Amino acid sequence: MDFIIAKYNYWIYIILMMIGFYAMIAKNNLIKKIIGMNIFQTAIILFFVSIAYKKGDATLPILTYADAHGAHAIRAAQYMNPLPHVLMLTAIVVSIATLGVALAIAIMMYKKYHTLEEDEILKAIK
Amino acid sequence: MKTVGLIVSMIVGAFLIYGTMDMPDWGDPNSPASLHVSPRYIMNTETETATPNIVTAVLADYRGYDTLGETVVIFTAGMACVLLLRRRNKFKKNRG
Amino acid sequence: MIITFDIIILLFVVMCAVAAITVKDLLSAVMILGAYSFFMCLMWTQLGAVDVAFTEASVGAGIGTILFIAAVMKTTRRTRD
Repeated sequence: MDFIIAKYNYWIYIILMMIGFYAMIAKNNLIKKIIGMNIFQTAIILFFVSIAYKKGDATLPILTYADAHGAHAIRAAQYMNPLPHVLMLTAIVVSIATLGVALAIAIMMYKKYHTLEEDEILKAIK
Repeated sequence: MKTVGLIVSMIVGAFLIYGTMDMPDWGDPNSPASLHVSPRYIMNTETETATPNIVTAVLADYRGYDTLGETVVIFTAGMACVLLLRRRNKFKKNRG
Repeated sequence: MIITFDIIILLFVVMCAVAAITVKDLLSAVMILGAYSFFMCLMWTQLGAVDVAFTEASVGAGIGTILFIAAVMKTTRRTRD
């Protein structure tokens, strides 16, 4: 039981990631593929943010007033790990950039082939 | 295609779940990720940057070049969108 | 972190993800993806990552949904799967 409580978050993140992966490789519609890509990216970001979490007495990575004036020493276990938060802040913005380019390409393909279904586009290319 | 995709994603998921067996427990304060680099940021942010929020201090102060690179990525993506969506309009105008 | 809250939010997130890729109307799928982003934002708030949470709420759920709706409006809502 302890083992399940220690790991079930990871398993749900992997299920989420595999939902996105399935949508990317098996769905026929381009917008559905892009939705799958978004879910995949969000699952990876969730995994990284969950690494930063510390059980116990850890709080948000914002220094409180008493600590800020050196009243007592700051312990590292007292605050959550700020580094994954920073990296994932960058990753969210980059994911929106890739989403914009992917949607622009999908709009271009619709203008050229008048469909968003992958097999019809492949038939039209031949 | 659907069944192949389902089978492939289930196999990959099984491998990844097998990989989590070696991960540290969820929320463990002594996991390797929270022992090596981040204590330095947490201890020295106040004296070095005088910012209470550690996340913004690391984002804009310690790793400012990282954020600059992110801005370059956004700029590139915006230019790609503009070029992709603009070329088609020019074609339409030329055709009448 | 409250463990029941954690489990409920994770359940909602997985349900929204499955619904977003199975629904047969693209505009509905995009709307469900917006709901997914907001549930993800709640998830990050309860994990303690408030900066990531409000970036996701403004950039991921706001601008992302707007881009998706613009794309669906410029193309078509119909899909076969």
